[in-house]
Amino acid sequence: MYKSKEIIKFEIVTPEKIALKEMIKKVTVPTEEGFITVLPKHMPLVGILKPGVIELVNENNEHKIMSVSGGFIEVFRNKVVLLADTAERAEEIDLAKAEAARKTAEQSLKNLRTSDKERFANINASLAKELARTKAVIRWKKINKL
Amino acid sequence: MAKTKEIQRRIKSVNSTKKITKAMEMVAASKMRKAVDAVLKTRTYANLSWITILNISKSVGAGKYLHPLMEKRSEIKKVAIILMSSNRGLCGSFNSAIINKAVKSIRKHQEKNGQKKIETDFVIVGKKGLTVNSRYGYGVVAEFAKADIAAEVREVMPIAKLVIDDFLQGKYDKVMVAYTDFISAINQVPSVKQLLPIDIEAQDDYLGIMGKDTRVGADKDYYQEKEDKYLKDKDKKRFFVFSYEPGPKQVLDEMLPRLIEVQLFQALLESNASEHSARVAAMQKASESATELVDQLTLYYNKARQAAITNEIAEISAGANALNNN
Repeated sequence: MYKSKEIIKFEIVTPEKIALKEMIKKVTVPTEEGFITVLPKHMPLVGILKPGVIELVNENNEHKIMSVSGGFIEVFRNKVVLLADTAERAEEIDLAKAEAARKTAEQSLKNLRTSDKERFANINASLAKELARTKAVIRWKKINKL
Repeated sequence: MAKTKEIQRRIKSVNSTKKITKAMEMVAASKMRKAVDAVLKTRTYANLSWITILNISKSVGAGKYLHPLMEKRSEIKKVAIILMSSNRGLCGSFNSAIINKAVKSIRKHQEKNGQKKIETDFVIVGKKGLTVNSRYGYGVVAEFAKADIAAEVREVMPIAKLVIDDFLQGKYDKVMVAYTDFISAINQVPSVKQLLPIDIEAQDDYLGIMGKDTRVGADKDYYQEKEDKYLKDKDKKRFFVFSYEPGPKQVLDEMLPRLIEVQLFQALLESNASEHSARVAAMQKASESATELVDQLTLYYNKARQAAITNEIAEISAGANALNNN
């Protein structure tokens, strides 16, 4: 049964899909000012997400790792909504591909000579995203002792 | 004989029209499938982000930091309406319905304002929206091309930037968006929604969560939550205050424009899905009535043919009779 004192209703949505919808006990998210952990009865909060790794414990005490690439978090009366730009579960990420994508982004950042601000920002964002994905996989492997 | 030829020609022409409408129906159907997929995918995100905004707008109503995009103007002098129409016709009453709705909402607004004139400018997405200018005489400040299948939020960014800038500079006191809500393949509802300022207490007519749908994301839980958030709080006056990470200004500065883009994008997707569904329905009807017409014409043709044959036989037998009598 749903007990609002111990369990948080948690949702990650992206413009493409509902990435995750679960009852959880706690969640740690990367925000602009560092990581924050949300436990039940957290005060209402709105924050900006940084690309990074989300760690959560669901009601069955299972750990789950996801990577996000920016977005917002809203904490609201035992309901947490993550409005993420993209979100992926760690076990779905192909580490080799993520690494390769990160290297490509790094490379194109180096090659960028012109001072095109928008392109720079775009590449920077994709670099941060790939880094987050890589980190998510590593973290996931560590937890599951793979 | 002349008559049968003519009917035959008509049957041929109706048949080829039917082929065209049939083909258009197929094209619209495949576009509709894509558009509906797209609209369903983003709906949850758009709804949740809208709820987030409403929550924030309510919380700051308690007297905290007020973002300029949430600030209600005391006097409404000029309004901008973003009108989502189609590029091409042949989609039934899709365009006229949404334009009527927009015009009606302007009139309603004026009545509430004590018949004082409110200047209205239109921002048009899709070619057919120009009717508001040619028929109703409202000013059009900008016209944006519309992709038949919208893929990325980026496509609405210029529109969002335009209205946000104009609103902040005080050119407009209110910005609305007129779009067609996609409910199902056979049911689309034209709606007008207030976009700016972001305001939870906008009149009922304008309140509404983009893409409210009983099939997606809108289960009992959803309504219960909505009720909890919107109704109960109002009675109890139990305000709450969000804390912001890093600070209210940074968060809202980042969040509000982005969410307005998302809302606009959602409106565009809803309109697209509705447009293609409307076109499928219109073309289906056209093909059906073409079939009916062909049936009827075939009947006439056969009658005419039979009449000609009967005539001929009558003539021959009359001739034979005349010979026999001699």
